Formats: sequence, structure tokens, C-alpha cells
Amino acid sequence: MIRIDGVVKQWGPTVALAGATCTIGGGVTGLLGANGAGKTTLLGMILGLTRPDAGRIEVFGLDPSTAGPEVRARIGYSPEHHLLPPDVKAVDLVRHVAEVNGLPHHEATNRASDALWQVGLGEERGRPVGTMSTGQRQRVKLAQALAHDPKLVLLDEPTDGLDPVQRDGMLELIHRIGHEFGITVLLSSHLLEEVERICDAAVILAGGVVAAAGSLDELRGDGEGLSIEFDAEPHEVEAVLTTIHHSGAEIRVNGRNHLITGDEHLFETVRDAVARHGVGVRTLGRRTVSLEEIFLGVGAATDPTEDPRLAGLPAPPPPPPPAPGGHHQDEPR
Amino acid sequence: MSSPDIFDGAEARILDRGYRRYDGERTGVNGSVRSVVVHSIQRGLGLRRSIWAKVLPVATAAIAYVPAIVFVGIVALIPARRLTDFVLPTYGEYYGYVISAILLFVAFAAPEMLCTDRRSGMLGIYLASPLNRDTYLLAKALAVATTLAVVCLGPPLLMLVANIFQGQGPEGVGETLLTLLRVLGAGAMITLLYTGVTMGVASLTDRKAIATAGVILLLLVSGTIGGTLADVTGTDDYLMLSVSSLSLDIGPRVHGETPFDQLEITSLSSYLAWFGWTVGGFALARFQLRRLPVTR
Repeated sequence: MIRIDGVVKQWGPTVALAGATCTIGGGVTGLLGANGAGKTTLLGMILGLTRPDAGRIEVFGLDPSTAGPEVRARIGYSPEHHLLPPDVKAVDLVRHVAEVNGLPHHEATNRASDALWQVGLGEERGRPVGTMSTGQRQRVKLAQALAHDPKLVLLDEPTDGLDPVQRDGMLELIHRIGHEFGITVLLSSHLLEEVERICDAAVILAGGVVAAAGSLDELRGDGEGLSIEFDAEPHEVEAVLTTIHHSGAEIRVNGRNHLITGDEHLFETVRDAVARHGVGVRTLGRRTVSLEEIFLGVGAATDPTEDPRLAGLPAPPPPPPPAPGGHHQDEPR
Repeated sequence: MSSPDIFDGAEARILDRGYRRYDGERTGVNGSVRSVVVHSIQRGLGLRRSIWAKVLPVATAAIAYVPAIVFVGIVALIPARRLTDFVLPTYGEYYGYVISAILLFVAFAAPEMLCTDRRSGMLGIYLASPLNRDTYLLAKALAVATTLAVVCLGPPLLMLVANIFQGQGPEGVGETLLTLLRVLGAGAMITLLYTGVTMGVASLTDRKAIATAGVILLLLVSGTIGGTLADVTGTDDYLMLSVSSLSLDIGPRVHGETPFDQLEITSLSSYLAWFGWTVGGFALARFQLRRLPVTR
């Protein structure tokens, strides 16, 4: 759907993108990055509104900087801001945007109404946008991005300003768009939890480059070692962990789980230790890395500069203060 | 016999409308431009909006038409032999009667159509459609021009048509066509002049009130500068630096009449001034639009 190859963009002395490369396919993809990471610049380039200084972007196999109108006719765009003409009725606004995006008047009228029903504003469609809440306006923005039946929808911070309940509803809606409606969604967000919850893939921008990209399974499955949760008394757990530790493995506590890293025989080592001490195990599996860990550079590699995916990511946060008594969270044993 | 499958219709409700794909024809860039033009004209005239949004455009447009309707009424009600007792304005002179209404109308129309898009974020939504910056500007220019034509072109055209129907119009087909072309030409030139100037000013801000004040200020300041230069140098051509004086000069000049009897203003300076103000306004609007970030 979208191919980005070595894209460079500079605004005066500021480098917004410094050779970004990635591919974005179907489903819902999260575009992650801190403020100033180049997310908005990249969205502008996908829409053909900004021309890259170097590199190439292809959307639907076309170059948006030369075939902008053709590309944009198949894209729906929901901007970040909450501003919309306050004195225009929601249905009039959505119909107008659908017409601007190429639908004949009659079809635009029908689809505007349908799109507002889809986003849960069917009963409110006759209300002026200015009388609506932030959550309702976010839905109007989503409806105007959907009404002309695009192949790709770009959503810029679609949950910004929403309360938790509204956010849940919006995320569920975006998930439906990507999976039931068959429309590719590129979701720009700085909220990792949202992306982790509804996206199939993620592109992480940092320092103007793509620090990591791929399906969430690929991104999270790269963690080394095992994650295990015991179903046993503390002293039994302590005994098993001591045995495992003596084999040379490193153990960290993460909530109720223990994250164990070691050599290539780690799985056998853990299995044998558990069997020897006869303790119960609630969960055991490969350790996965959260998007937050990837984003903060503490995922697969200890030193972010060792992993080319993580080059340019911000430094990991300082370790949490030691808990009183017992062993420390995330503290190597 | 019982029929357990039949349920009370009042309990039925739509749980999911499903998603319908659209495989029909798309109208392309032309359709996008047309839609923006129609929507902008409706906005400029206050249509599909609250009653208060309609008051100013409808009132000023009505004021611009009142003299035309009165003159047409005089021609209709007073016998032809007595019409010589009345000094009715020519089509070129008509603008002098309604210049205040025209200025008020133009000061509000373009800011309403341009500033609102920037302030409400619609500009970003428009430019994420098949429109690009140039086609967007074209659509806006067409909308502003069409709206301004309501007061700049409509009244003299109404007078001409009414006079023709009452047998008081130009004599002969050739004369009628020539007068029609002059009415259209003068109206179009004044419309384009105010379209360019007001779009240029409105492109400088996203606040309607500031843009409206800016248009009024420009009209006053250009008049003051033009008048002062004309006084100091003794060259009346400098009066064409005044946008409002220029619009009063263009009408009679296109109709082959002598505008401002006591003044010596050449056609060259008048048309040059028209070209400068009009093209300068459009160029400023285009320059401003090209530098606006739209995805932020």
C-alpha cells in the first residue's frame, strides 16, 4: 500500500526525516514517535502535500508528489485538530467533504448519513458541529474521512481529548474500520497502549528515521529468554530461581512474572529446575517485548546502539527506586 | 395455530448497518472545485446557516439593488414623454449610487470564505482531497467572484433587462448587444478587482474580523494615499491608487463615458491600476497559501 524508501526532508536547519524507510501494508498500522519525530511530515508526504528532498514514496504504486489528486482521491484524512466549522451541521459537512473527494451529490448525501451512523452519530447528524462534544467531533472527523469510501485512512491522533470511555469506543471503531470495512488505516499516535491494543503493525519514528517497523508479533517476539509465572509458595519459588540462577541465567522480576535470560539451553534448564522442585507453573512462554520497551530502547538489546532498529531512540529511563525489602523489580539477581 | 416465529415489530431495532463500498464514478478535480464553489457561495451568502449569518449579506445585496429597482420603477410607471424630466443614471454611473453597499459587501464576503477555512481546519481537509493549492485557490476565487458579482454585476444587468422589456433600452440589436457586453465587462472588471484585493487581504490572517477591518483599512488608506499624491504632484492619475475610486472610474470608462468630469485620468493608468490591484491581490493570496502548513 505504502512504500517509503530513504526519504529525507529538511525544514530549514531542522531535519524532519533523515532517510526513513519502511513498508506499510493492510490492516491497522500505528505510526509512533515522540513530538518532532517526523510523523506529521510523513503524513504530509503520503498525501502528496510535501515533496521529499531525497528518497521516494509510493502510495498505491503512485508517487503522491506527482500524482497527488489521484492518490488523495483514495485517501481519507482525519486531522489532529478538533476544529471544524462550528455552524455547519455534521451531515452537511460530511456530505460536502464526500463531494470534494469525488462523490456525486446524491451518493454523497446517502453515504454521509451512513458514515455518521457508522461512527455512532446517526441521531446527532443534524446538529451543528459547534454544539458537539470533543468526542463527537472526533467521530465527525472520522466520518468525513470514511464517507467517500477510501482505500486508506490516515488518522492523526484520533483519541486526543477523549475520556477513557470515549477512547475505548473510538479504538473499537478504528479496529472495525481496519478489519471489517477492509480499509487500510494508518494511525499516528504517541500513545503506545493504543497502538498495541488495536494495530496489526507499527512504524516507530525516532530522530527522523524508522527505528523499528513490522507486525506487532515481529516487534514483540524479539525478546530474549523466557517469561514464567509460578503457582507456588514464595520459598518454593525462591528455591527454583536459585537453582536456575546457579546455571548462569539472569533473572528479573516483572510484576508476577520472572523474566529469565541465559544460554541456548535455557528452556531445558528452567524445565528441569521446575520438575526438580515440584512447583506449579501458571504461565511459561517466550518473553515478549512491549512496544513501550521497544520505544524506550530497553527491549531486545541492552545497549540501543547495538540494535540497528533502535538506533536513534531516546535513552532508557532511569531504573525505579528500590522497593523496601525483598528483591527489586527489574533488578538482576 | 400458534406462530412462534412472528415477533412484535416494535421490538425490532437496527444493530449494525454494515459498510457499503462505492464502485461508481467519481467526479475528479472538477467535481471537487464545483463542490467548494457551491459550498463557499452558500457560506458567503449565509445560506444553510443561522438567520443572523444571512442578515448582513442579504441586507447589503438588497441595498445594492434598491436604486436599480427604483430606476426601473420610474421607467415603468412614468409615461415616456415625461421621462425627460428625470435624470436617470447611465449603466456606468450606477456604481456611484451603490458604492457603499458594494464596499460593505466585499469587506465581509472574502474573509468569510477564506479565513473560515484556515481557522476551522477545513483547509487541511480540502488539501487532503483531489484539490491542490492552486485548484483550491481557483475554487475560492470563483466563489468570491460569483458572490461579489451579485452586487457588482447584478443591478446594472437588472436595469438593462428591465429597460429592454419596457422598450426603454438601447435601440437595435447591435446597440443592445454592445450595451450588454459593456454591462458585463464593467461588472466583471469591478468584480475581479474586488475579488483579487479582498482575497489578498484575507489571505494574511485566519481571523474574519481582522480581515474585514484590513479590507476597510486598505480602501481608506489607498484613497488617502492616492488623493495626497494627486494633490502634491498635480497628476490626477494617482487617484487610481485608490481602490474605491478605481472601481468608480472603471464602470463609466468601459461604457465609453468620461468618468470624473473635472479630472484628467488616462485610460492607460486606469487599466494599469486595475491590473496591478487585481493581479497583485491574487498573487499575494497564492503566495500566502503556498507557505501555509496544512497537516498541523
